[in-house]
Amino acid sequence: MNITKLGFILGIFCVSAAFALSAVYESTKGKIAYEKEKVMQEALRSVLPEAKNIVLTTSPDGKEYYCGFAGDDTDVPPVGYAIVAAGKGYSSTIQTLVGLAPDGVIKGMNIMYQQETPGLGTKAVEIKYGEKDPWFQRQFIGSFGDTVAVDKDGGKIQCITGSTITSRAIASSIKQEVEWMRSKAILKPVQE
Amino acid sequence: MQRTIVQEFTKGIGSENPIFRLVLGLCPALAVTTSLENGLGMGLAATFVLLCSNTIVSLIKGIVPPKIRIPIYIVVIATFVSITEMVMAAYAPDLHKALGIFVPLIVVNCIILGRAEAFAGKNGVFRSVVDGLGMGTGFTISLCVLAGIREILGDGKLWGYPVMGQSFEPVLLLILPAGGFFVMGLLMAALKMKDMRTAAMKRTQAIAEK
Amino acid sequence: MDIKIIFLIIIYSILIQNFVLSRFLGLCPFFGCSQKLSSAVGMGLAVIFVMVLASSITWILYTYLLDPATSVMGFLATDGVAPDLTFLRTIAFILVIASLVQFIEMFLQKKVPPLYRALGIFLPLITTNCAVLGVAVLNIDGFSAIGLDGKLTFLQSLVQGFAGGVGFLMVLVLMAGLREKLELETIPESMKGIPVAFIMGGLMAIAFMGFSGLSI
Repeated sequence: MNITKLGFILGIFCVSAAFALSAVYESTKGKIAYEKEKVMQEALRSVLPEAKNIVLTTSPDGKEYYCGFAGDDTDVPPVGYAIVAAGKGYSSTIQTLVGLAPDGVIKGMNIMYQQETPGLGTKAVEIKYGEKDPWFQRQFIGSFGDTVAVDKDGGKIQCITGSTITSRAIASSIKQEVEWMRSKAILKPVQE
Repeated sequence: MQRTIVQEFTKGIGSENPIFRLVLGLCPALAVTTSLENGLGMGLAATFVLLCSNTIVSLIKGIVPPKIRIPIYIVVIATFVSITEMVMAAYAPDLHKALGIFVPLIVVNCIILGRAEAFAGKNGVFRSVVDGLGMGTGFTISLCVLAGIREILGDGKLWGYPVMGQSFEPVLLLILPAGGFFVMGLLMAALKMKDMRTAAMKRTQAIAEK
Repeated sequence: MDIKIIFLIIIYSILIQNFVLSRFLGLCPFFGCSQKLSSAVGMGLAVIFVMVLASSITWILYTYLLDPATSVMGFLATDGVAPDLTFLRTIAFILVIASLVQFIEMFLQKKVPPLYRALGIFLPLITTNCAVLGVAVLNIDGFSAIGLDGKLTFLQSLVQGFAGGVGFLMVLVLMAGLREKLELETIPESMKGIPVAFIMGGLMAIAFMGFSGLSI
């Protein structure tokens, strides 16, 4: 069999494969996109429980964040905000979704992505036996977002033992994002 | 001597177990066995691909020119792997995220190409399906054993549920890459010990019968 | 900044996130080709060559044919926007790699027969080496540990391919050296061969974990 015929047969197989794959692609792409969106929606709902309607907003300089409204009306002041804070951890870029009240107090937190050392950095998402939420993240709730810092940097957040870098990455990335929101007057200025 | 259908199936679990006997498919075996759920997921995905590819390869064995059979097998396997990738992303997104790059890497899992070349290309469809089922089941069971050990001792959980009680301090090393190597090595040593014992028993029996 | 990223990719791929001991890629040849130092070196060098070539060709293929953002296939669609063909990634990459290895085989057979004979069966096995397809996919998925969250640039992909291969060669040579020495030692019968190789792999993995403290 000469090389043209061999190539032709291989080509037929490749084209059939491409057709089969396109068919599967078309039928699954909707669901795949939906699942991606669902992850974000669930995370947003967990950090902004009082907001029934969460809307993606883009600032004039292109940065994205979320505004949470109590109802469908988006002309009233939001009841909360959410923003994704990314900080370089030990072995990955940690992505934290943080939910804020209009004055900048942290209402909720959700670490959306991390690939830190198992048993050390991953303690950031660890839920202790019998408890309901991660103990490390509980420390952030209730503080002003621009004042969070680990104890080693003079703040109130207790570092994870043996994972200062991970702890610091989370705290400083949140602080940085909240400071940005404060500087763009998205959040109300701090009452003295 | 032709194997029976049942033997075609059970060889994949026992005497020709892909991981512990043929030492194939090591990459996913060590990488995804950090939890039973992931191990089972990978095993089922690989079994699905193996079944489909064995079936198709066996069906087309009459029309495939021998010179280009390997590239054609690869196209077939890659197609089913891509289908698995997309279906998993749509209907089991957490598993897809947990298995990461090892889902597309199923296409270079030596077991699948190995069976296509060594068996499905030379045998009928029914036998190829049974062979695929057997090998896939053996692969899945092996992954689950590895994953079970590593998850229970390394994380104190099984399928995400804490099973070792509160005072158990998990051996973290087992969840890390090094632990995968150790557990595998010890299991292989245990298997070898059993083999040596069986061989020794057979020798004493043979001598006694003389 | 760019030089620093390149440097980070090299250090991470060879030491901190070694392809074999940390990422679990290339395990079959790691245990299959490491009994003798000479075959380890031969396999390692061949893999470096294939990984660099595969990284470059798959990157170009993905960027200009599959990825809708940069594809040149815009003329195919009615609105001028190229179709999203990224779902063909796996099949396209593995075909590229298989063809690459085939060409290298034919080339060596014609031009450098001694090398072809020395590599023997190991050469076609490079096609199924997880590290080769793995690095091609990693180039597209990004390198989260050093802050690269999207597709790597062409140069970065080449560097990851090269450094990943070097890391593979390094641990293969280390393992071969250890196994050759182990031939002369007395070890329990049940551990001989594969089991002790796995244990040694585990010890090497622990040793390499020490590199993760490197802070640059």
